[in-house]
Amino acid sequence: MSAELIVSHLRKQFAVGRPAVDDVSFRVAAGEIVVLLGPSGCGKTTTLRCIAGLEQPTAGTISIGGDEVAAPERGVHVPPRLRNIGMVFQSYAVWPHMTVRQNVNYPLRHRKVPRDEAERKVDRVLELVGLSEYAERPVTQLSGGQMQRVALARALVYEPRILLLDEPLSNLDAKLRLRLRDELRRIIKEAKVTALYVTHDQAEAVVLGDRIGVMENGKLMQMSAPVELYNKPENLFVANFTGVSNLIKGEISAPGAVRLSTGETLRITAPRGKTGDAVLVAIRPENIQLRPNGEGADTNSFPARVIEGHFHGTQTTYALETLGHRIEAIELGTVPRFSAHDTIRVVIPPDHSWVFPQ
Amino acid sequence: MTAETAALVAPREAGRRISFGWLWSGALLVLLTFLVIYPVAMLVLGALTNTNPVVDGFGIYDLSLKNFITVLGNPNVHFALANSLIACGGGTLLAVIIGLTFSWVVVRTNTPCKRFIAAVSMIPLFVPPLVAAVAWSILASPKTGLLNTMIKWVGIDFRFDVYTMGGLIAIFGIYYAPYVYMFTASALRNMDPALEEAAEISGATPVRILFTVTFPLIAPAIISGMLLSFIVMLGIYGIPAVLGAPGDIPVLTTYIFKLTNWSPPLYSTAASVAIILMIVTGFLVFLQQKVVSGRSYITVAGKAFRPGVMNLGPWRYLTLSLAVIYLIVVVVLPTLALIVAAFRKFLFIRSVESLFDLKQYSLIHFERLFDNPLAVRSIWNTMEVGLITAVFGGILAFAIGYTVHRTNAAGRRSIDVISTLPVAIPGLVIGVAYLWAWIGLPGGLYGTIWILALAFIARFMPDTIKALSTSLLQIHKELEEASWICGKGLLGTIRTIVLPLARPGVIAAMTLLFILAIRELGSSLFLYTSNTMVMAVLLLDYYEGGNVGITSAFSLVQTLLLAVLIGIAHFLSRGGADTSVGRAG
Ligand SMILES: Nc1ncnc2c1ncn2[C@@H]1O[C@H](COP(=O)(O)OP(=O)(O)O)[C@@H](O)[C@H]1O
Ligand SMILES: [Mg+2]
Repeated sequence: MSAELIVSHLRKQFAVGRPAVDDVSFRVAAGEIVVLLGPSGCGKTTTLRCIAGLEQPTAGTISIGGDEVAAPERGVHVPPRLRNIGMVFQSYAVWPHMTVRQNVNYPLRHRKVPRDEAERKVDRVLELVGLSEYAERPVTQLSGGQMQRVALARALVYEPRILLLDEPLSNLDAKLRLRLRDELRRIIKEAKVTALYVTHDQAEAVVLGDRIGVMENGKLMQMSAPVELYNKPENLFVANFTGVSNLIKGEISAPGAVRLSTGETLRITAPRGKTGDAVLVAIRPENIQLRPNGEGADTNSFPARVIEGHFHGTQTTYALETLGHRIEAIELGTVPRFSAHDTIRVVIPPDHSWVFPQ
Repeated sequence: MTAETAALVAPREAGRRISFGWLWSGALLVLLTFLVIYPVAMLVLGALTNTNPVVDGFGIYDLSLKNFITVLGNPNVHFALANSLIACGGGTLLAVIIGLTFSWVVVRTNTPCKRFIAAVSMIPLFVPPLVAAVAWSILASPKTGLLNTMIKWVGIDFRFDVYTMGGLIAIFGIYYAPYVYMFTASALRNMDPALEEAAEISGATPVRILFTVTFPLIAPAIISGMLLSFIVMLGIYGIPAVLGAPGDIPVLTTYIFKLTNWSPPLYSTAASVAIILMIVTGFLVFLQQKVVSGRSYITVAGKAFRPGVMNLGPWRYLTLSLAVIYLIVVVVLPTLALIVAAFRKFLFIRSVESLFDLKQYSLIHFERLFDNPLAVRSIWNTMEVGLITAVFGGILAFAIGYTVHRTNAAGRRSIDVISTLPVAIPGLVIGVAYLWAWIGLPGGLYGTIWILALAFIARFMPDTIKALSTSLLQIHKELEEASWICGKGLLGTIRTIVLPLARPGVIAAMTLLFILAIRELGSSLFLYTSNTMVMAVLLLDYYEGGNVGITSAFSLVQTLLLAVLIGIAHFLSRGGADTSVGRAG
């Protein structure tokens, strides 16, 4: 059944260019869902394909459930068919010349499962993905979402040790994507399988993952639980990628204080770095509080001028001029409180602002 | 631009423009009727009569379905039909094995020298079937075949015999494998590799993936290639004429020719058998079109796939050597055989030592070949027919292609349909149809170079139009529209925009037509006279006259000529690709 996956110092170098995967190490506990998140071309698929055995790593080791399946330094390369893993491809990859049942039954045919037991397993997994009524249909008559469920059923039917999913929702339309996203987590958890899920969509990653690993340029930048990822980004890339849009230049003037070039001092609860370092202060637009002018002045409260406001229905985004920067802030609510040219005050939260070296 | 063409496109003059459109379509339809419909109609009439057009004159027919039905019941026809089906069926099977193997090796394995293998897989397309058959009869005839001499010398107690059904199947199979290869290689290239990877992860072994996923997925391409190679084999004359005659294995094509060579010639029986051949071919063409246009499994998801390449390990040298063996069988051995036979005074080779005895070699066969005025005339005739076919066929194909694809002229659907009809008519049947259409008319075309050229134009019209349409469609419609907006008329636009852009395509199509025309045998057989003798027919005559030396010399001359022309065509069409400036976005 579900097993632990350990990837350590994985490297994959294609014939040309920089390595597609560069010294990536992480661990997925049995039954856990880990999402690899990152922009297109950052090496997510390559990592997944190395774990599946479809690609041979250049260096590093991969072990599944305690068995080493890839260790190029020692010449270990277990072929995909012996790794006992399931994989869902971005392009579905369901076989168009077979029915739904034949597709799902295919892996069992190669595992010498007795016929009646195989039938039972196929029925059970089709029920799990909600395709019981479609069992005898040719897959070419299914919609994209249904094909993706067939692919999922096919990957789960033999109770693999690990399930790998490569952007399984990216070819579906937006509405279906939202529905299937929530359902995927339920199905994977119900199947109690260890899962590694690849996507470039943050919303998908947050909903699906127990933990999220952010990748860039073949490197794993941070791997942590979604709440931590959004509230304790370890570096500028992760902060940016998860939606931090405001960066303010400054210099650490004392522990817990950053002096800006305009002269003001920002209080930051837990700044990294030592006094004298040139830094960037990163602030999420959602974490900036806006106050009408004159309302009580607490820490990190500064005057600001509204440049423009954009009403989005349930929220309003403001462009503000303050601290010598143009800053973005978002306020929830259907009633915009400020309009252009208003003079207001902003409060930068000391607990939710982060400092990164410049 | 002349005032006339300006008037033709001016909106106010719409009435005149429509009448011009009708005039144009009408002219094309008349031409197509003359080239295609009339001869086929005469063929049908011929099948329904038992009069002889030469003796009884033109237009006097004793029409009755009885004649056709009598032919249907003739055991000789049954025998020929059965032989055709067995030879082509077996040949197709072999072609599928060879074509599929090489397409898989080229697209899906890490065999070294893949570009070389890909080229080798296509080479047989360029070998004239008659020359291939002649070469193989020199190599593997049961008594004097060079291969048999060799293995006897080595001491192996085995003899090749190419004059058998097995021999016919083998030669068909190895020379028509490219038709299967073309289809399956592109299908394999376009297949989403994830489909196979999913099977790999599901636990299937590589061999099982091949048979449960890969081959079923490209089944439409395999079937398509199978049908096409079957159709081509069914209509070919040269190979069964050379290999089938000694062992008395008549197929439909050779049987039809035999009927017209009877004395007195059985022209109406020949027409009936030709119609049987045409019906079988037509049915297969219909099936093939259905498979091609039908739902294909190939799921290209719009991104450049890197087809999964299988690491064959040391076995990759085995797959490479398969390609080398294939090259030896289809090209090297036949060429060597032709060279030996053409330059040796006597082909009888007592031992292997005498094979290398230079005293046995001379140019005598070439001298005798060129001393024969008929041979020289046949070369000039062939060139003349080829040139006429290329020029007029090319112009007609351009006119039809442009009308069908780029205008909304009245009747363009009918023009399209009639001009593609010859796809389903084997060359030999066209020959019989033209024979029926013109032999009875005194003072007509029969006996001139032109009847050959017209038959070739009709026969190759679909291929030419298709080749041209591809280059026409590459010229973006907006380029023409831009010219119209700039005030050019229709003819002015064609002259200043379309022709210059399509010229490489037109020239390449004409060259292709020239090559096809000069190697055509099937339809020439019925239309030549001693004044209009062409190379392919004379080559067959030499072969049937038993003079292997001159036959081989002539084969080499023709092959060399073709090789030069194909080189030119290749060069021209590459220029075409370079100048595809008009491509869409
Ligand atoms: N087979 C290959 N050959 C060469 N380069 C490759 C190959 N596969 C992926 N790459 C390169 O490796 C990098 C990472 O690719 P990939 O893992 O597919 O990214 P992602 O899935 O995150 O979009 C890209 O720059 C890509 O061009
Ligand atoms: Mg990817």
